[in-house]
Amino acid sequence: MSDVADATTPITSRHDPRYEVVMYRHVGIDGAWTLDYYRGHGGYASARKALTTMTPAQVIDEVKASKLRGRGGAGFPTGVKWSFMPPVDGRQRLLVVNADESEPGSFKDRYIMEDDPHQLIEGIIIGCYAIQATKAFIYIRGEYGLGYRRLVQAVEEARAAGILGKNALGSDVEVDITVHRGAGAYICGEETALMNSLEGLRGNPRLKPPFPAQAGVYGLPTTINNVTTMTSVVHIIERGADWFASMGTEDSKGTKLYQISGTVVRPGVYELPMGATFRELIYDLAGGPKGEAKGFFPGGSSTPPFPWRDEFLDMPMDYGTLANSGSMLGTGGVIVIPKEKDIVDAMYNVVRFYAHESCGKCTPCREGISTWLPKMYQKLLAGLGTREDLDLMEDMVRNTRGTAFCPLADACAMPVQASFKWFRDEYEYLVDHGTPMYTKNDWWEA
Amino acid sequence: MKVTINDVSMDFAPGTSVIDAVFAAGYDVPYFCSQEYMSPIGACRMCLARVGAPRKDREGNWILDEETGEPKIFYFPNMMATCTTQVMEGMVVDTLSDDVKRVQNGMVEFTLINHPLDCPVCDKGGACELQDRAYEYGTGESRFVFDKRHQEKHHPLSEVITLDRERCIHCKRCVRYFEEVPGDGVLDFIERGGHTYIGTLEDGLPSNFTGNITDICPVGALLDTTSRFRGRNWEYDHTRSTGMDDAGGSAIVIDARTGRIERIKGALNPEVNKTWIDDGTRFGHEYVDADDRLRSPLVRKDGELVPATWEEAAQVVRDRLGGLSGKDIGIALRADATLEEGVAAKALAEALGTGQLDHAPRPAASVVPQQAPATLTDLATADAIFVVGDVTEEVPIADLRIKDALKGVTPPEMMAHGVPIADLRLKEHPVFHRERLSVAAPYRVDLMKHAGRTASYPAGGEAALFAALQAIAEAQDAKAEDAEAAAVQLDDGQRAALGMSLADAEALVRGLREADNAVVVIGGFVLATRAAAAAAATFAKAVGAKQLILGPMANSYGLELLHVGPSHDRYAYPGMLEGARALILSNLDPAQDPDVRATLEQKDFLVVHDLFLTETAKIADVVLPARSVYERDGTTVNLEGRFLPLQAAPVDAGESEDFVGVVGALGDALGQRLEGRSVRSARRVLRKRFELDPAELGPSGELYRPKGRPAPRVSIRSDEAVGGNVLVTPSMLRVEYLERNPHLLALSGGSRLRVNPADAAQHGLGDGEAVSLRVGGVVRRARVRLDAGVPAGLMLLPTLPEQPVGLAHADLATLTRDERELEVAG
Repeated sequence: MSDVADATTPITSRHDPRYEVVMYRHVGIDGAWTLDYYRGHGGYASARKALTTMTPAQVIDEVKASKLRGRGGAGFPTGVKWSFMPPVDGRQRLLVVNADESEPGSFKDRYIMEDDPHQLIEGIIIGCYAIQATKAFIYIRGEYGLGYRRLVQAVEEARAAGILGKNALGSDVEVDITVHRGAGAYICGEETALMNSLEGLRGNPRLKPPFPAQAGVYGLPTTINNVTTMTSVVHIIERGADWFASMGTEDSKGTKLYQISGTVVRPGVYELPMGATFRELIYDLAGGPKGEAKGFFPGGSSTPPFPWRDEFLDMPMDYGTLANSGSMLGTGGVIVIPKEKDIVDAMYNVVRFYAHESCGKCTPCREGISTWLPKMYQKLLAGLGTREDLDLMEDMVRNTRGTAFCPLADACAMPVQASFKWFRDEYEYLVDHGTPMYTKNDWWEA
Repeated sequence: MKVTINDVSMDFAPGTSVIDAVFAAGYDVPYFCSQEYMSPIGACRMCLARVGAPRKDREGNWILDEETGEPKIFYFPNMMATCTTQVMEGMVVDTLSDDVKRVQNGMVEFTLINHPLDCPVCDKGGACELQDRAYEYGTGESRFVFDKRHQEKHHPLSEVITLDRERCIHCKRCVRYFEEVPGDGVLDFIERGGHTYIGTLEDGLPSNFTGNITDICPVGALLDTTSRFRGRNWEYDHTRSTGMDDAGGSAIVIDARTGRIERIKGALNPEVNKTWIDDGTRFGHEYVDADDRLRSPLVRKDGELVPATWEEAAQVVRDRLGGLSGKDIGIALRADATLEEGVAAKALAEALGTGQLDHAPRPAASVVPQQAPATLTDLATADAIFVVGDVTEEVPIADLRIKDALKGVTPPEMMAHGVPIADLRLKEHPVFHRERLSVAAPYRVDLMKHAGRTASYPAGGEAALFAALQAIAEAQDAKAEDAEAAAVQLDDGQRAALGMSLADAEALVRGLREADNAVVVIGGFVLATRAAAAAAATFAKAVGAKQLILGPMANSYGLELLHVGPSHDRYAYPGMLEGARALILSNLDPAQDPDVRATLEQKDFLVVHDLFLTETAKIADVVLPARSVYERDGTTVNLEGRFLPLQAAPVDAGESEDFVGVVGALGDALGQRLEGRSVRSARRVLRKRFELDPAELGPSGELYRPKGRPAPRVSIRSDEAVGGNVLVTPSMLRVEYLERNPHLLALSGGSRLRVNPADAAQHGLGDGEAVSLRVGGVVRRARVRLDAGVPAGLMLLPTLPEQPVGLAHADLATLTRDERELEVAG
């Protein structure tokens, strides 16, 4: 806790000589958020290159060739997504940047928007050019006050400097950006709920199809990408798809911003090539766990946690390996669970979050995740649970799996199921004894 | 597309939802959130099924199962919500396996954990979708041991709708209904997750179509306040009939219990109202059960009206009419009389030998257009609509069908199980294509908020409006023939008549002309003068649009078609009030005008057939108790020319009779077997006259399209003088019964005199003040409502049968505070 609380800047892998820091190169540097600084360090060269030397189709092909996959969590190939946009038919086309980074354990976008907003703007210019959109929205999480102010300031600077506007970067390409601030709902990070929220509607997920490319915001062709997807594009255009594709594993290319939190010595954001192992991140970069750890979430709180075993620690962090192992890479936000923290209490914390954030649209999530499941945890933690309650919880959670309208219910159900799989002994201890196996509450002081 | 549902293989059109495929195949899945004619949203997750489909490889060939050689079925990893999934070629749907059952059990359990299960005291009990589905698909027990969510149980959303927030299962039907059907977004979810509840941002539900949410609520959360706690569903007699409050002809179900109407619900007529009805139709039935309803005939003896039998009353009528020449007798029906009553009235007039026969109100211009009128389906599929009038008040269902046209989704094809449950062409938060709609009226009308183009022309200027548009159409014609022709030139008067910019008017005319299906909708303001109606017809023809004419009352079209009218325009209703020596008036109350009252008092003989002891009945010699529109068997013809059936609900109405019964009794007294002495006998006449059988009308009724042109009608003698300082406006609420409809009275605040704030200041009127005023002679009581949408120098007042829509003169010297009100207050 002390490291996180005291840190004025996130720890990045900048100080590790093995890795080149690309997207986070300006993060943590005072004043890096100004246009002068950004341009003084080669900024907007990539966007200028795309606008002046490439056609939109070439940009899309380049991104396709780089095999960049969306960094928001689902890992959909970005170039393919861009090519889903319908042919230009005179309608307004939109790019929406999903900056509603709300997943517990994820904080990679935050520092880009706070310390290096022009990098994102540059990515947006390239993205808009590629999909031939003239208008972009950045939907930024409501809690990101500083990020919002810096982004707005940067957009105004860029507009004043002619980087945005009718003739972006002096070309005949029009790009403008509106920064829209969310109101603090996790579900608005889900792209269809985000579109509703952006339109001023209630933040409920929408039916797909139609997919955003066909009928997105206001029914217009829309592409929605994560912040670090857009910033990755800046460097793909600058250095070429081959450079990006030369890093990573078979199905996951390039570098990624991994985040690590929980009881480790140096929590923070680390930029690593895809396919680095958890051990590398946790031990080499984050300095290893403080005290004894018993498990970790591999990619944010919605990804099923693993126990602290070599087979999982040595697993490469890429999309395919994690999917095959029954979990997900998610946003790449590793959360280390200390041994001293009782898993029932830890999971209750996760469940409370999803219960609070359920939008209430569909039955299994509203009644199962948002109402029933937290009550069951309260019952267990009050020492009133029974073995039958554990069976009931497993069965009830199974009914929420794959039945809800959007992935939020699964995002809660899957970690709960994994906690039953790996840590059932702690649940059983609690119902048998009426007290948790681990009662220490000041574990973070370890 | 071939789809296999369990063991049934059927073909479906692309785009069909899987849930409709399941129902069409004769299987069932539970559902709460889907609703006919509304967007599917996949929220309740009850209709989950295991769904699979074959796949093609890169070369476009089906991937085959190695063992069977058939295309291999790839099942979706998760259960699919069948309401939001489209059928695919070769799709396989399983709704019966244990896996599906487990999930269905789970969803019922989830749905019920916060539902109070207060079925024994719930009005929905016995007709509740949740009750049925829990019984069919639940396990019968809950494993949820905690406190259920507690929320408000008697939340009045409005004076007529009560919300029980504990019973709500969040299907979102009501929210979507308001957004998609009337387009009035007045409800939404508030809070989120397990705390979600339905509510309004402001008080009340400002819409003419709120009651439909009580029909579509799958549970007892939204209830019709007028019928709350009045009976259990299995105790009601359900009578399907036709709404008679306007010319729309909406299908309704009358629910009565122990001889009393408890509620009206919408019924399905896919061609007319789909399943929706307006609030006037739904909640405006309470007057039928008013304490002062007449239950037996009254005959004047020694200056007093005293109860009598029908035979006695009929004898008195026979004796008193016997001393008069037939042609001195006038007979008039209100225009919501059935065709059968019209036949009876004609037979009586013929038997008495009088040409003084009419129905009222009957506008100056005909409600039966020379060309076949547009149907409501034409309206719902139109790509350009021009409305002159206030359709939302005049024929509310036409307003909803206009919104269908704005959504641009054609009415769905019927399926084996009826209306598709989940029409995937309908989308949540639909885009209304406002540019298709233009609305013109002398004041701000509700439909204008959905119109791409609006015009506020001077009241009474309908003829000039259409003439100016005609001039534009002709100029455009000239331009089309000769590019050198002059641009449209209008003088200042014509420009003022348009009430919109010339550019807008030109675009309007062009839009109508270029549309494939254009409809011009004209209401009572246009019908008030023959010149305006003729100009409208000419214009509609010039731009190739069909006309839809909003007649003043439910059967205006039918009674005109049947020619329940005078032999000479001198003998029309206003004339007979003056000239006839004896009058038989059914459901008409002309004595609200003190001058007319004085005339009527001089008549030799006055028979009034009505529900209540009206001003006219009070001075009548014989008063006959009338049946309400809910108590009649018969036939009505809506504004499309569609014959629709009325069926009498089992209501205790004493000795009331409809006009058919009146004529039967008088015929008996006269010793004559008159045509129209019974519904059966009247229908024999109708069968011959219209070549269709009113006793055999299907549930959608039957469109009547005569060969040749309709016979020329006898018009009301009218000097066509247009002018006045009060505009009598159409009203969804029937003002004549408003005082006896306590819930609607509370909802509406009574009859409204809408006044521009500047005028009100000049007359010393305050908002909410109760006033009395003579308008066109009729004494009107109303409550002042300041409304900036009213043009200066004009006051708006809702219509009465005796006060037709259009301009009227009010003597402002008679404007006084309503003394009745002061007495009550004092």
